[in-house]
Amino acid sequence: MADEQKRKKGGIFGVFKDIVYGMSSHEMTRHAVRSRASMEHLFILITMGDLLGIPILPPYYSLRLLPYVTPQIAGWKRRMLRERDITDVLG
Amino acid sequence: MSLRTVFESQPERRYIMFGGKGGLGKTTLSATSAFWLASHGKRVLLFSVDPQASLSDIFQRDIFGKGPVPIMQNLWAQEVDADRRIKDYQEEIRKKILDMYGFDRVPEEIDNYISAASAEPAMEESAIFDAVVDIIVQGDYDYYIYDLVPLGHALYYLSMAKVYDEWINKITKLRQDMRQYDQVAATMRREETLEEDKILEELMYIKQRINASSQILTDRRRTAFFFVLVPEEMIILDTRKAAELFSKFDVPISGYVVNRVLPPDLGAGKIPDYLRNRIAMQQRYMKDLQSSFGSQILAYVPEMERDITGLPMIERLARRLFQEETTA
Repeated sequence: MADEQKRKKGGIFGVFKDIVYGMSSHEMTRHAVRSRASMEHLFILITMGDLLGIPILPPYYSLRLLPYVTPQIAGWKRRMLRERDITDVLG
Repeated sequence: MSLRTVFESQPERRYIMFGGKGGLGKTTLSATSAFWLASHGKRVLLFSVDPQASLSDIFQRDIFGKGPVPIMQNLWAQEVDADRRIKDYQEEIRKKILDMYGFDRVPEEIDNYISAASAEPAMEESAIFDAVVDIIVQGDYDYYIYDLVPLGHALYYLSMAKVYDEWINKITKLRQDMRQYDQVAATMRREETLEEDKILEELMYIKQRINASSQILTDRRRTAFFFVLVPEEMIILDTRKAAELFSKFDVPISGYVVNRVLPPDLGAGKIPDYLRNRIAMQQRYMKDLQSSFGSQILAYVPEMERDITGLPMIERLARRLFQEETTA
C-alpha cells in the first residue's frame, strides 16, 4: 500500500526510474540478495549446526545468537535437508 | 629469585595462576599466596575455574555459587556454580526470544535445542570461562588468583580463549561480508537506511569479551603463571611436557614451586627403610629439578605434619613459603 502511494507520488518520473532500475540493476540486486541468503544459511550452519546433528564448537556463545536467527531456522532446515539434483547446479 | 621477590618486584602482575597435575597443591599455593598478599594490604580475589572446586574445603566454608565471599580482611574467594549459570543463561535466551517476537512460548524445536545445549560436554567449561571473563573485566581487586584445573584441562581452558577467538573472527568476517551484500542491494534499490545487524553487534560484544580474557592469559606484563610440582619422576616429566605446551599458547611461565619437600633433618638418626628410600628418592629428583629448572625454581615448600586446611594452617604455610622458602 505504502509502495503504491509512493509510486503514484513519483509519477511518470518514478515509473521511468523503476524501468531503468528493472533493466539495469534488478538482476544484480537479485543476485546480491540471493548470495546474501546463501551466506545467511552458511552462517546458521556454522553457528547452529547442532540443530542438524552437525557438531559445532561449544554452543555457549552460539546460543547468544539464537534469538536473532530463530525465525529463519525452519527455512534454513528445509533448504539444508531438501533433496538436490542436477538442475540445482545448472540453475 | 623467590616467590616473594616475584610478587614484590613485579606488582603490575595482577593475574596469578598456579598450574600443575592434580593433587600437587595448586589450591594450597593459590590460597597461601592469596593469604600473604591480602595480609600485606592487597585486595585479592581467589577464584576457582575447576568444576570440582576445592576452595570451600581449604577455607572450611561453603562458598560454592555465592559470588565473592569475604574470607578475611582484603581476601575474597569465589567458586562458580556452572550449572546454575548455564540454567540462568538458557532462561535469558528463552526470554529474549519471547520478548523479541512476542511468542507465548518458545517454539518447541528451538526450546529443545536450548535445553540440549546444557548436555554438551564443554558447556560447563565454557560457562566457567564466561564467568571468569565477568570476574576479571570488573577490575575491582589488586590481585586475581586463579585456582586452575589440573594440567590437561588447564591447557584446554587456556586454549579455549584462542579457539574461541579464531572461531569468532571467522564468523565475524562472514557476517561482515554479508553486510557488504546488504549494502550493495540497498544501494541498488536506492534505499537510504540500512537496518542494523544485531548479530554483528552481538558478535563484536562476544569478541571483545574473549579478547579481554585471552589478552590477560598471555600478557607477560600483567600475568604470572607458576607450575606446582613435587620431586617425583613422572611429575617432573609431565611438567616439562606441559611447560612446552603452555609456551605454545604464549602463557607467561614465571617459575616453578616445588611442593611437599621432606624436611632434610628427617633423615637423621635411625629411621625405617621406607622413609630412608623416600628421602633418597626425593634428593635424587631434587638434583634433577635443579638441573632442569635451576633458578626458575622460586620456592621449596616443606611437607607439613598435617594437611593445609583452615586459615591458621594457611598462615603457617604462608610464613614458611614467603619468608623461609629456601629451607631445602
